[in-house]
Amino acid sequence: MKARAFGLVALLASFGLATLGCATEPYKRAGNMDDVAAALARHGTGAARPANAGGRPLAFLALAGAKGPRLAAYDLADKRVLWTQPADLKARVEVGADFVVHASANALVGRDLRAGGERWRRAIAADERLLGYAADGATAFVLVQKGGAHLHGGTAYLAAIDGTTGAERWRHELPSANAGGPTAGGGLVAVLLQSQYVAILDGATGAELATVLSNEEAATYVRALPEGVFFGSSGVFRLSRATAAGSRKSAGYVAAKLPEFVRPVYWFDQYRPEQGDYSALDRNRVLWRMTPNKEDEAARFRDDLAVVHNFRFFFGFDSKTGALRWAYNHPSTEAVSSADVGDAILFATADGELGALDAKTGRRTYAARLPGEVVRGVTFDAEGFAPHDATGASPTLSEALSSIVWDPDRRFWDVKMFAIEALAGQPGGEVTEQLLKITEQEGLPPAVYQKAGEALIARKDAGSAAASSEMLAHVLERHADYAEGRSAPAVEILARAAGAMKAKAAAPALVAHLRRPETTPAAAAAIARALAALEATDALPALRDFLTMYRADPIYDGDPTALVAASEAMLALGGQSERQLLLYLSEEPRTVQALRAHLRRALAQTASRAAAAAAAE
Amino acid sequence: MGLVLVLALTSTASAKKAAPVAEKKAPPSVPKEKLDKVREILLDEDDAAAIDAAKALGQSGAANAVEPLLETLSVGGSPERTEAALAALGQLAVPSTLDVLELYAGNRTPEIRRAAIKAIGAIKGERSLGPLLTALGDAAPDVRAVAADALAARKAEGAVAGPRLLALVKRNDLGAAPALGQLAAPDLVPQLAELQGAVDDNVVATALGEILKRDDVRDGLRVDVIHTMARLSGEASTAALVEYLATIPAKDDRPSKKEAQKVVDEKGTVK
Repeated sequence: MKARAFGLVALLASFGLATLGCATEPYKRAGNMDDVAAALARHGTGAARPANAGGRPLAFLALAGAKGPRLAAYDLADKRVLWTQPADLKARVEVGADFVVHASANALVGRDLRAGGERWRRAIAADERLLGYAADGATAFVLVQKGGAHLHGGTAYLAAIDGTTGAERWRHELPSANAGGPTAGGGLVAVLLQSQYVAILDGATGAELATVLSNEEAATYVRALPEGVFFGSSGVFRLSRATAAGSRKSAGYVAAKLPEFVRPVYWFDQYRPEQGDYSALDRNRVLWRMTPNKEDEAARFRDDLAVVHNFRFFFGFDSKTGALRWAYNHPSTEAVSSADVGDAILFATADGELGALDAKTGRRTYAARLPGEVVRGVTFDAEGFAPHDATGASPTLSEALSSIVWDPDRRFWDVKMFAIEALAGQPGGEVTEQLLKITEQEGLPPAVYQKAGEALIARKDAGSAAASSEMLAHVLERHADYAEGRSAPAVEILARAAGAMKAKAAAPALVAHLRRPETTPAAAAAIARALAALEATDALPALRDFLTMYRADPIYDGDPTALVAASEAMLALGGQSERQLLLYLSEEPRTVQALRAHLRRALAQTASRAAAAAAAE
Repeated sequence: MGLVLVLALTSTASAKKAAPVAEKKAPPSVPKEKLDKVREILLDEDDAAAIDAAKALGQSGAANAVEPLLETLSVGGSPERTEAALAALGQLAVPSTLDVLELYAGNRTPEIRRAAIKAIGAIKGERSLGPLLTALGDAAPDVRAVAADALAARKAEGAVAGPRLLALVKRNDLGAAPALGQLAAPDLVPQLAELQGAVDDNVVATALGEILKRDDVRDGLRVDVIHTMARLSGEASTAALVEYLATIPAKDDRPSKKEAQKVVDEKGTVK
């Protein structure tokens, strides 16, 4: 439905009709730059501190497990639980100055922030639907649909509720029940409408201050951060005069360059109530902050950094180039929630661990634990929290990537494939070693071997070429053995790597594989080519044996590539005696036809060169 | 053609020539002209004739039968022809053929590997031991079984082959079980018994059944083995015990006999 609505706008825009003047009546001022500028002038931004009045870095944890559903407040600085209350949360915790608010069954519940006790409860009537809520200072904001189906029909209103008493301060009827949000901060409250409008209201009075018309990209989220107000879906618009009409061409729009495995979720889709609760989406999204920059209204990720949270892994990317800056692999357990609070990335795991990473380096800077707890999700109210605990030696990027590749968790192959690719881009002999280890590992999907092998082939690590050659030879020394439950390494790809790396030390091991029954025709072809590339004349007897043994074998009738490759290697490395054998095979009727044809052609093409070589001898 | 060839080869003059009883009998030899003819057939296009020729050479036992077979293998041929040449070399069991046999033990076709390993197994001596042990790691059960049987025939190699055979039995390899039972050092028996539950009972029973038949095993150990077999399900354990009982003379009343009989009575006879 949202996509359809946005598509209509795009269609209209393509005909030059989606101009401000053509906006429908309730949105007649949508996209007005002056309105947006005036609204932003009221925005009290800039304080890098938690929302709670005490300014303490807090985490509000939705707990589950044997003790039942509870809500706990945790002081991150003191590393202690402040309170725990029975609470069956149906959506996220939002934090005000001295209260927190969360959805419960058929109600919105306000709690005292210091002790967690229930202050008020606002029932959601049978004909009402809670679309969302937010908190800012002493006020909670609730978005409710009355009648109709979800996002269809009926009416919707935004109400301001006193955080202390639960009393309604004002109510603003919205022009459509197709609404999402709200988001509140700095005295403003924003509501999404019909996927293309962002209505900005005065938090104190409910007066409508401005409406953004998101012309080129559906607006499915709006966020109020200390550095500004942002909206978008597949990218980020900084709310400003320049983006009042949602132009992606303006400097106020930015999207990070991220690798394929990343699901570019910049914030939760606020039209979808299920994303209002802690869910798998919390574990797989992009964390970002913006550079505070009011002057030129440009949107730029803070430090050009976009952090990707992917279940147990965190990656810091250069948002402009997509280059990987750092990686972090959290052992064993998934991080169920995370937040970018400025200088630190905070996270909490399902088994009660709380952690922080330095946003610039990915170094672990904080560790705490709630023993025996099952954590369903966390809301962090810890803006500006930047711990610097000593948590042991920090792994290098190569080490971190290696640990991801070797992680026993078999669910994350896309991440592992990315880690291999990223690892390959790192310098140093130890990287080659890591890539070789991947090819040694048994039971990985073929694509992983392929990726690691291609990375090996592409490596230009001249400084460690000799060492790499030795390592490659060592890996190739392993053979399949049923009795020992051992399989061969990825011979085909390793042979290609050996040829590309000119790893002469690997030649004897390649020869041994050429003589093994488990070596596939494809691997045999790669070996033959590698031996030729390595100028391994010592391998000629093995190539001769291979060719004669299989030259009449019907398994090569369909695809004689390996035989052809072996004959090519013999022609490249051998002399007259090899040519004589090849000539015999080309004339022998039982030789696979395709090989015979190839040999006749190859012998003719190389005849003059061979004659010259013979004469020179 | 094949039959004629066989008759022709086995009635060579050298084979007929009488030798003094006390002297070592010289191996027979195929006359040169016949050998040339066979060589021609072996390299000819007719696979069936070549296979017959290879068989005939193998059966001849002639010392000069090796060369044409090696020539055949050196230029390669169809899998069937190759297999026949390897089988013939196995019959001739000449140590100088080991290199070629070892080469073909690495062929991709399991039947060819099996023939090569069987031929290697027929050649006595330390040099053939390595390829046999390697073949215990082959992916094809038939190839492993042939290697295991060849090793079992060499009692002296038990210390070397035992651990690899045990590794195979641990992987439920029935083909390795008889060889393990025949070769296993007594200290491997407890390990074998501990496999109950982790490995198919019939595999364990087959190996233990072979241990019972061995002369070099003390009767006390046999009794322990029988106790283990009593706990195994499947017909193999009962069959092995019945087989063991059949090997014991009627007047022999060793304790293991009584124990085996008791277990058989409890388990019932094999259907």
